[in-house]
Parts: sequence; structure tokens; C-alpha cells
Amino acid sequence: MSAIARTNVMDLTAPAIEITDLNKYYGTFHALRSINLTVSKGEKVVVCGPSGSGKSTMIRCINQLEEHDSGAIRVFGTQLDDNLGSIDEIRREVGMVFQQFNLFPHMTVLENCTLAPMLVRKISRAEAEATAMRYLEKVRIPDQAQKFPGQLSGGQQQRVAIARALCMQPEILLFDEPTSALDPEMIAEVLDVMVTLAQEGMTMVCVTHEMGFARKVADRVIFMDKGEIIEEAPPEEFFGQPKSDRTRLFLSQVLGH
Amino acid sequence: MTASSLPGGQSARLRRLRRDYFGSPLAVLMTLLSAAVIAWIGWFLLDWGVIRATFGADGTQETCVAHGGACWSVIAVRWRVILFGIYPYEEQWRSALACVVVGVVILLSCLPRMWSFGRLALVWVLGTVIFYTLMRGGVLGLVPVNEQQWGGLPLTLFIFVATGIIGMPLAIGLALLRRSEYPVIARVTGWIIDTIRSLPLLSILFTCAIVLPFMLPGFLIGEKLYRVLFGAALFFAAYQAEIIRGGFQGIPKGQEEAAKALGLTYWHRTFRIVLPQAFRLALPATINQFVIAFMETSLIVVVGFMELLAAGNTAFKTGEWKFAYAEVYVFIAAIYFAFVFGLSRYGAYLEARMNVGHRKD
Repeated sequence: MSAIARTNVMDLTAPAIEITDLNKYYGTFHALRSINLTVSKGEKVVVCGPSGSGKSTMIRCINQLEEHDSGAIRVFGTQLDDNLGSIDEIRREVGMVFQQFNLFPHMTVLENCTLAPMLVRKISRAEAEATAMRYLEKVRIPDQAQKFPGQLSGGQQQRVAIARALCMQPEILLFDEPTSALDPEMIAEVLDVMVTLAQEGMTMVCVTHEMGFARKVADRVIFMDKGEIIEEAPPEEFFGQPKSDRTRLFLSQVLGH
Repeated sequence: MTASSLPGGQSARLRRLRRDYFGSPLAVLMTLLSAAVIAWIGWFLLDWGVIRATFGADGTQETCVAHGGACWSVIAVRWRVILFGIYPYEEQWRSALACVVVGVVILLSCLPRMWSFGRLALVWVLGTVIFYTLMRGGVLGLVPVNEQQWGGLPLTLFIFVATGIIGMPLAIGLALLRRSEYPVIARVTGWIIDTIRSLPLLSILFTCAIVLPFMLPGFLIGEKLYRVLFGAALFFAAYQAEIIRGGFQGIPKGQEEAAKALGLTYWHRTFRIVLPQAFRLALPATINQFVIAFMETSLIVVVGFMELLAAGNTAFKTGEWKFAYAEVYVFIAAIYFAFVFGLSRYGAYLEARMNVGHRKD
């Protein structure tokens, strides 16, 4: 599918993400309690739940921005373990979009997009720039390529951040509350891009409160509370007949007004 | 000309001037008083330094005293001692050329188009080789001149530049070790930095010049000048490492996380993402540290090197010029000022340049 040579360690027939019995503590605080989750290739999973429920912590464990204390995480069959090489391998295939965008402020939009492909994938500058322009067009922002992040609006920055992640041509994209730091009028432009990606078959795990987005693209919605997965179901079922009281309470709070 | 005929911007400026400096009786008084003090100092300097001053190499104490102003004759007669110290007189053209080499290397490094590792390395290696060959001699038919005889401006520049060139990588190394994820390394580095910072520079210079030779094996002792340079660089590095650490702390955590999520290695994250941003944040303090380092080059006189200030001191120590110390100090101050002022202006230019990407417009 992509022109870039893979390391060939990844088994693309295995489940995209396989989390078994994952536990994570912050000191004595039990942040993740026996999480089990499997995401197949091409699947779109939306994770929601009240703040402090462990949603972000869980997806940050997948690319090891957080270390887990016990349990196993496999990405396309490659297990994350103490072997640092496995972390590098997984990070190459798993892109991430953050709440605060985290663009590199000292580089232009184009440099933000070409840095990692050139350094990590070792492709030429010309090729990296061509790829970057293709993805910047996809997020509808090619005319800003020579600007610095500080010169763009929040919505534009987040779209650049998505393009930057796409330039590594990852198999999986993780979204950590991608619209929570945006002004209301900019949320739609970011969600539109995410919907397009979903329709093109990208494997996505999105932590978000955008229930409209969940209804529209999710194959599965997961509800977390106090470090546990309380409920997981397809969107019609999740929004139509939530099983747990906690889910119902949460939904009434986010959809109530 | 009436006020209404002035262009808008100019009349606004005039109005602001009147409001800020002549707004109340007290403001009028302060303005006039300050103006009077400035005018008096300015007149004194002009009168002393130019109008009643004696120029030219044929001035003597009698003619100078008769004129009543500054006696610039001391500079005209003794400038070679001030600039080059006890470097052999017939070879001082080499010292002058070495100064030019340092100047050119510094100027080239300041140009943004030179900022690539290859170009900077080429300029600095070439510059160092030419400087050392010129000063030390012993090859190409140049008479050898021992480091002990180096002096004046080239020595001052050499110490300053070498302190920065050795000290800056050391500082980066120390700063990175201090934020190591291994607590033992981070803590030990912290202790080392704090220890060096709690010692006076003078004691470090003395230790390197006099004590170290007793402790090191023979082949490691080397020339005194280089031991002292190492001490000065170490001192610079300890302070600069803390300045860089301050820069690290100003970078949002998300920057490194984003770099990790993209699969960048530790070294790429450090040199492409973290350090450039840390240096931008730490730039004002870094320029300040360089200014201090330039001033502190004058301390090496205590271990027997005749840098610019010490060479200036000897220039009026001979009987006939004893009265003209103020003129020599003014001359040396002007040289220091030229370098440090240039450094500050360059710092301001860098700040403006680096801010381009961060400005919202």
C-alpha cells in the first residue's frame, strides 16, 4: 500500500492492537485496571468517559508515552517489552494526534511534516516533501506549508498535526482528545478530516467527547470509568440501549444539552 | 511652521514627547536637570578627550600637561605593547594577523548562511590551525614563540573563543546528563555542576596552573596556557549548563512526546527538537554568560599571562608614561566595549530572528 519499505517485522494479518490484562499505577493510584481490548485492522474505535477515567493513559500506553506496570500490548503481533527496539518499531507504525497539537514551533509546517520521515524512514528530502504536500492537501492546508505553527489558527495547527502523523504513513492513528483545545468554530474542520480518514480505512482509536463523530464513523464505542472498561458496543447500541448505569449517566451529561 | 502642518505621526510623537517629559512641573525640572548633567559630562569628555588633548607620538609629559587635556601620545607610542604584550617586537605582525583571523572566523560564524555543521567545522578548524601556526610559529620559516610570550589582544581573544568552543559542548553534555532518566547520573552531574559553581574562578585557574602539574602524569600536564583554558571552559560550562537547563524547563512536555510518537530517537529528539528550543529560550542568559566570559579573560593575569588589560598596565608602568594611566584604560575600555557591544547587538538580532516563527500575525 505505501511506497515505503517496511521493516517486515510487523505481521499485518495479526490484530492491529491487542491489549491484555493491562494495569497501570501512578504511585498507589490504580489508573488502569485489567484492560482488555482488541482492535482489528481498519477498525475505528471511539473511547469516551469522564475525565480521569484513564482513556488517555490507555492510548498513551499503546505507543509507550506511558509505561504500563503489567499486562501485554501487541501491535500487529509485535509485543511491547523491555526491548527498546520494539518501542521504536511500534512508534513507526502508530501515529498520534494530541490535544495540544504539539507542533514543533521552531520549524515550518513543511519541516514539521518532513522531519520524521527523513530521519526515521530515511527517505530523501524531495520524496518527503512530495509526501508532505500530498497530505497537506488532504487536510486542505497546502498553502500554509512555509508558515510557522504560531502563525496558524488552532484548527489549522491540528490539521497540520494530523498531516504530520500521516507523513510517517502509519498503520494506526491514535487521537487523544483532538478537538478539546479548539474553539467551537474550528472543531468541524478537524472532524471533517478525521471522517475522511476513517472512510479511507485507517485504523483509528479516538479518545473524544464528540458523540456525533462517534455515531458517524465508529465501529465500536468504548466507555471507561475509574480505570476500567465499563461497556463496549457498536454506536447504535451504545447510544440506544446503554447497559450500565454509569454509561447512561455519562451519556445524559454529554448529550443532555 | 505650525503644528497642524506637520504630518500626523510626527505631531503625535511631539505630543507624546511633551506629555512624557514636560507633563508636570516636576517632570520639567527632572528633564532640565538630566539634560544639564548629560551636557556637562559630554562637554567634559569633549574638552578633555579632544579639544585640549595632545595627539601624536611626539607628545611628552610637559606638552600634555601644558595642554591640560588627555595625553593620547601614550597610545601612539605604546600601542604595540598594549595590543601585543611581550610578543617579540619584530614578529608582532603575526599577532596582528592572528587577531584578524579570529575576527574573520567569528564574523563568518555569525552569518546564518554558514550555519551548517560542515561549514562551521571547516571555518573553525582552518581558523584554529592558522591562528596557532601564526602565533606559535616553528614552521614555514616562522620563528617559534612560546605560549608564555603570547599577550595582549590575540591572547584575550584566544582565551575567550576557546572558552566558548570547549565550554559550550561541555555545557550541553552536562545539561543533558543532568536531565538523564537515570537518577544516579542526574544526581552526580548535579553535584559536579554545583561544586564547580561554588568555587571561585580564581581558585580554579590557580589549581589548573599550579596544582594540577603535581597531580597529573607527565604526558598529561601539557602547556600551562591550555590547562588554564580548560579550567576556564569548565567554569563556563557549569554556569552555561544551568542556563540550558532553564531552557529545557521552559519547553512544554508535549514537544518531546510528539517527537517520541513520531519514532524519533533520543539523539534526534535532543538535537532537532529539544536543544534548538532550549537555546531559543536561554538566549538572553547565554549572551550574558558570554559577556561575563569575555570580561573574565582578564583574570588569567594572576597565573602569569599578559592579556589585554595586563599588557595595558605595563604600557604606562615605565617612568615617562606613569601619569597617563587614564588614557590607557580608556583605550582598553573602548576595545572591550566594541566587542561586548557587538555581542549584545548580535544577541538582539538572534532573538528577533528566532522570534519570527513564534509571533502570531
